[in-house]
Amino acid sequence: MSPKNESPAEPIVARDAPYYTAPPGLSERVRARLATEALRDRDPSRWQPYAIAASLLLVSLVSWNAALWHERSSVDASALDEAVDAHVRSLATPARLTDVVSSDQHTVKPWFIGKVDLAPPVTDFASAGFALAGGRLDYLEGRPAAALVYRHNAHVVNVFISSLRERGESAPVVSTRKGYAVARWRGGGLAFEAVGDISTTDMGVLVELMRKAPS
Amino acid sequence: MTRLARFERAVLPYLDAAYNLARWLTRNDQDAQDVVQEAMLRALRYFDSLRDADARGWLLAIVRNTGYTWLEKNRPAELLAYDEASANVEESAALWGAADSNPEVIVLQSAQRKLVAQALEELPLAFREMIVLRELEDLSYKDIARIAGVPIGTVMSRLARGREILRRTLESRMRKAS
Repeated sequence: MSPKNESPAEPIVARDAPYYTAPPGLSERVRARLATEALRDRDPSRWQPYAIAASLLLVSLVSWNAALWHERSSVDASALDEAVDAHVRSLATPARLTDVVSSDQHTVKPWFIGKVDLAPPVTDFASAGFALAGGRLDYLEGRPAAALVYRHNAHVVNVFISSLRERGESAPVVSTRKGYAVARWRGGGLAFEAVGDISTTDMGVLVELMRKAPS
Repeated sequence: MTRLARFERAVLPYLDAAYNLARWLTRNDQDAQDVVQEAMLRALRYFDSLRDADARGWLLAIVRNTGYTWLEKNRPAELLAYDEASANVEESAALWGAADSNPEVIVLQSAQRKLVAQALEELPLAFREMIVLRELEDLSYKDIARIAGVPIGTVMSRLARGREILRRTLESRMRKAS
């Protein structure tokens, strides 16, 4: 944190207000809940009471996974369909397009703190024709995703960023879907899906800008 | 070191800061404790997004988001007041210069703690949080802008307007008291 030095003549009115320190016991209670939460992901014995319910669930999960396995090739396609739908939804409600309105990456990036399980790379490419307009929280495949909004001339491009369970890189693929230019790639533990009513050439430009930008 | 141990070392030192912000947002000890607990759980869940960023600002952003969610659920009326407040502040940026180096401010610095605390509690949420982060937490405009998710200009105008309201409230109360 930088020291408070913006304005030496800044009036101070609340210095006499109390600074409330954590009451006794709060630290212990927080630690206890954190420990429980951390165990939840690791300790299998915790789940023993739920074994019966879990085995029932397993049956349905296995069949669901088997179905998924056969449709593996269409998984990417359905993710892109969802991205296109999310894009159309965002245009239908202009008020919801950007929850954080800013061309400043230092405002947009921290906005996502505590809202999604990732720190999205945010860069303004206004000089290259893609101006950062803001961001919002969206959902893709039932999981929260960071949506970055860029404007290219009068057109809006949504870039959805979500975290990957397994690390992996994949080169960008640019195509069209329902009349929109779409792109999909993976890198740095993140999955990217971009949608906009721009040309595929312009989409390719944005993809390259994003891939070259520091995260 | 386990993930939990790393989390506790990086984040728990700021428990007081988290509680102070939650206490001023909710204006109540028990509610503030609930908000802090929930915020800490969220922080653990999203710990990987901290990376090398400043842990205090990161935690305070989560506390603020959690506090707002809590207020939305339990006291939505306070957030309505917030909308009206933010609608009016943009035009009051001019107050920023006007409030500078006012001699009355020096007098107010010695005002009784109780009066100040009371006046600050009554301040609308949008202004109250700015003053708490700036004057009690000593954060820069830039850090406050990041935590609250608003432009720096808005931080400055809300601070100026908040101080102005606070100053007037204190003046009139002290006049009555004397």
